[in-house]
Amino acid sequence: MRVHKVAAFFVRDLLWDLSYPLNFFWRGASIFFSLVTFYFLGRLVIGGASGHLAAYGGGGYFPFVLVGLALAGFQNVALNSISRAVQYGMYTGTLEAMLVTPTPISTIVFSSVLYQFVSALLSILVYLAFGALLFGFPLGQADFLSAAVMLLLTLLAHLPLGILSASFLLIFKRGDPITSLVGHLSALLAGVYFPLSVLPGWLQVVSFFLPFTHALEGLRQAVLNGRTVMELSTQVMVLSIFAIILLPLSLAVFSYAIHQAKRLGTLSQF
Amino acid sequence: MGTTPAVAVSRLSKFFPLITLRRLLTGTWQQGVWALQEVDFELFPGEVLFILGPNGSGKTTLVKLIAGLLAPTNGRISVHGLDTARFPLQVKRRLGYITCNEYSFYGRLTGWRNLAFFAQLQNLDPKTVIPPVVETLRLTEYLDRRFFTYSTGIKRRLDIARGLLHQPDILLLDEPTTNLDPLSAAKVRQLLIEIQARGKTMIIVTHRLEEVQKLGGRVAIVKEGRFQEVTREAGENLEELYARMVEENIHAGS
Repeated sequence: MRVHKVAAFFVRDLLWDLSYPLNFFWRGASIFFSLVTFYFLGRLVIGGASGHLAAYGGGGYFPFVLVGLALAGFQNVALNSISRAVQYGMYTGTLEAMLVTPTPISTIVFSSVLYQFVSALLSILVYLAFGALLFGFPLGQADFLSAAVMLLLTLLAHLPLGILSASFLLIFKRGDPITSLVGHLSALLAGVYFPLSVLPGWLQVVSFFLPFTHALEGLRQAVLNGRTVMELSTQVMVLSIFAIILLPLSLAVFSYAIHQAKRLGTLSQF
Repeated sequence: MGTTPAVAVSRLSKFFPLITLRRLLTGTWQQGVWALQEVDFELFPGEVLFILGPNGSGKTTLVKLIAGLLAPTNGRISVHGLDTARFPLQVKRRLGYITCNEYSFYGRLTGWRNLAFFAQLQNLDPKTVIPPVVETLRLTEYLDRRFFTYSTGIKRRLDIARGLLHQPDILLLDEPTTNLDPLSAAKVRQLLIEIQARGKTMIIVTHRLEEVQKLGGRVAIVKEGRFQEVTREAGENLEELYARMVEENIHAGS
């Protein structure tokens, strides 16, 4: 993958984003309003939930949910960005214009989502900064190296699902079942808004098979309890297994989907 | 005329299966449409081939197959002797595909940024390759404006500029004057004449017979997936010839 090509995609997407300056403001505002809402909700649920939240730094509901919200945005990008980039390229014809250049499809696809990942990372920082500056979110004990490792593993474990989703769209255009299913299940069962201990036992078993469950637990332990990478070995191992199995599988499926799209003539259809 | 064809197409066929869930479940997914059948031709460096034919006859499919955007069902395409299936990246360096799709740019970015992006995908330095191309196409004054502010004629010229950035030997143009007003179409036609004078090999899909008359070159008609090259006698009326050819059934190999 040539660096100058990757940089070209990044600059393209940055300039595109900068052409909508108000969008930056509203993205920040959206994070702020979301935090205000959960801050007051956190004051409401104090006490009754203390047992369930004891494992997360002892700061109550607000720090717990802030990490959940921030990582949910990141997961959303990992799940949806590739399929959105592919859909946009197919819809406008820019995908064909790129495919006639001597640029491998893998470079096109992965470079097309780089800016979105950087943007999603910045959103996490905005969540943490707003939380710390305005609502007393405790950042003092965070282990940032562990947090960075958890983010990387979250990306590697979820990106294959996004690649599978894009593969589906290349051939069937719409109705992708992967991101909807994983996205909804993760929001419900992975523990974005509430600790898994409040779920019935059998649902906790289901949640174990979602990579996002382990990503959330790992990031919360890193940020709220200052756990080191070694102390998060269970989460690191589980997310690594998801990534090791799913990444090559998804790339093979994507390659097959491109071949089929060329055979079926669906690259420029939408 | 060189000995190795710039483009050689041999027994090329393209079948589009029509896949639906019901067909997958009932095992009838093999049904579909033959978009092209048994196409054969050779085009030598510097030659221009016009491809005419009714809508939906397979003209765009043929150009997309040569550009590598579609995979042939049968047959072989080679560019300067290189098989497009085996050497796709090498072939792409020698081909310029002008999509003539005005949406295939980034509307919020300037003309310069659009060209710079595609130049970088061609492994080229934008500052070196863009100025001479845009000067030739008389686009320099527009480059600082956002793409969405352009008229259709300027968009089309930028499309041609994109296809010329890497100085390809062969240009593929899919209806280069469609949707243009007569003046803009005349400008694009003039540009094609200038490009032709530089010895480029061109395959031009068109519905406009005046393009064939102005530029001159070989003519082929595609109808219902059948390709037939037309041999014109001196002074023969192209319009009448086209009408006759399209009304008749064209049989492969005839």
